[in-house]
Amino acid sequence: MALVELHDIRKTYRVGDQEIAALDGITLSIEAGEFLAIIGPSGSGKSTLMHLLGCLDTPTSGSLVIDGVDVSRASNNELAAMRNSKIGFVFQSFNLLPKFDVLRNVELPMVYAGVPGKVRRERAMAAIERVDLMHRIHNTPLQLSGGQCQRVAIARAIVNNPKIVFADEPTGNLDSHTGEAILALFRELAASGRTVVIVTHDNNIAARLPRRIEMRDGRIRVGVEAAVSDTTPLLPIMPPREGAGA
Amino acid sequence: MNIWFALLIGLKEILAHKFRSFLTMLGIILGVASLLSMFALTEGTAQGMRQTLAASGGVERAEVNNKDPSEELQDLAFLSPGRTMIDVEALRKGAPLVDLVSPEMDMGNVAISHLNKTIRLQVDGACPEFLEIGKFEVAAGRMISQSDVDRVTRVVVIGSDVAGELWPESPDYVPLGEVIRINGIPYQIVGVLGFSESDSAKRKRAAGVSASQDERRARRMGKTKKKPANRYDTYWQKNHVIVIPISTMFNDFRTGSGADGSANFKLDRLSFRVADLTLFEETLNQVRAVLDRTHRGIDDFGFDTREEWFDNIEASIRATRTSGSLIAGISLLVGGIGITNIMLASITERIREIGVRRAIGARQRDIFIQIVVESGVIGFIGGIMGLLAAAGVLQLLVQLSPAENAPVMTLSAVAISFSFAVGIGVLSGLYPAWKASTLDPIEALRYG
Repeated sequence: MALVELHDIRKTYRVGDQEIAALDGITLSIEAGEFLAIIGPSGSGKSTLMHLLGCLDTPTSGSLVIDGVDVSRASNNELAAMRNSKIGFVFQSFNLLPKFDVLRNVELPMVYAGVPGKVRRERAMAAIERVDLMHRIHNTPLQLSGGQCQRVAIARAIVNNPKIVFADEPTGNLDSHTGEAILALFRELAASGRTVVIVTHDNNIAARLPRRIEMRDGRIRVGVEAAVSDTTPLLPIMPPREGAGA
Repeated sequence: MNIWFALLIGLKEILAHKFRSFLTMLGIILGVASLLSMFALTEGTAQGMRQTLAASGGVERAEVNNKDPSEELQDLAFLSPGRTMIDVEALRKGAPLVDLVSPEMDMGNVAISHLNKTIRLQVDGACPEFLEIGKFEVAAGRMISQSDVDRVTRVVVIGSDVAGELWPESPDYVPLGEVIRINGIPYQIVGVLGFSESDSAKRKRAAGVSASQDERRARRMGKTKKKPANRYDTYWQKNHVIVIPISTMFNDFRTGSGADGSANFKLDRLSFRVADLTLFEETLNQVRAVLDRTHRGIDDFGFDTREEWFDNIEASIRATRTSGSLIAGISLLVGGIGITNIMLASITERIREIGVRRAIGARQRDIFIQIVVESGVIGFIGGIMGLLAAAGVLQLLVQLSPAENAPVMTLSAVAISFSFAVGIGVLSGLYPAWKASTLDPIEALRYG
């Protein structure tokens, strides 16, 4: 069974008297260890899809099973537990807590998981080491550069050892060079067996990922979801192109 | 989420905005300070009043006083002899519920002199029971005895301040055996009573000197400008008492003082002590029954009990406490509203942070606890600062208030005020916490 299975997922919002279908019957499965992009213009439903996949929201209808757990009808607390243990988030604007230093920011998910302080510290250090930021461990986000902030965010996303990492426009706020470095980091994560889903509207990024899902008007565009061949080289990093990150 | 971690975050949040947090706490600080000061003031007044009551004999002491007989008996009123020694004997023998009976005859504004020194005070003619019923203690010598009363001796027992006033040049002199003249008649001092003062006056004296010592010293130094002592003050009266045997009082001063020049047998005061306070009413009935006989059925007497006084004290303290609590409570409430207001502003500031926390796995409960703990911590710190402020205010009030009513900070008052502060802090965090925890994580992440 696939890690993530969606069957005929619909999500409708009510605006006044009108019902707007943000997702209109999505069927999709994601295998463990996949590295894929969800692309599409704004309003195509890719953010809504990511919110559902990320257990931030529940669908109006259809079934959504993540790692064997049906989350389409889960309660608030069950969703929170899923987000905490099986899902990691990386945001465009980093979303670190500015009052805490790097270590505390990375520790935060484990606080809600109830991990004891000593273990928490050890695991946070390991995650920070993985993103190569040990020298900035006691700095606050305001003292870090954008790329460093995003590394902290990645460390935070993986610290609870989740099955899937979702990244929402992770390079959107970074210059193209730093963006490439962050992408490389995601590649490493994917290469070590974690499922990584990048939501973006940047085709330059999506084009280099093994699998792309293109969204349009709440549906997956048929025919486009052809897997890029597995032989597509993931490394080395491509030189920055003009327009990247725009 | 761990409660300690929530506390840590709360403290961090408060420290991040020190001045704002202080302003938020100010309402709680003032509320706690006023609540605690009010408690301490009423407690001080209450203690002062209770001590004064106890010093004058306590609730178990009652007095038989004169009363106009009822209308239908008024024509026969002359038949009653009034309060006399006959009543005393009758009560001693016929009222077992009464354990002490103390008759008194007194004379006001009597010249008390030693050599060329004369002072004017009230003199009481009394029995030995006077000592116990009035809660006096003998400091030196002895109290007048039953044999003094029986043998009509001219002996006198004086209050501690009387000695000081008659022998002003040596304040610590114990004038046992000295002879003083009461309206010219010589009496020998056989006893000096102990100095009596309230607990808080005692505490005050521990640091400095007593008011009466001060008074004497000032007079010795020739300073005439002093506050006149309050002669209605229970403690002043107790320290200026002059007691002679009641029989001697009658013989020396009462044989010709009746309305028509005849002997005046009437007592000026007739006090008795109730053996068992639980049988207070029964005792009064028994005394009434006995006195009905001796007064030949004329109801020309009534009772003056301290119960009413005691009830009045309690009632007035309750009233002060209620109104004080109300005012302090309103100020605490205002403080609480201030906290709610700031917490609402603070969560609006932190909507994104809340969204992040939710996204990485915080449950609604975790967010709720975090906000409530934070406002609880504001209440806690405000409470502590309020206690300190109250301690400062009370230091000042102790200096300003009269000695016997000095404010007293009790542990329970501190506990009540403090838990009110924390409680208000937590309560005023509930609504903001509920609001924060029900935010939609997606909306919150998108905010700002």
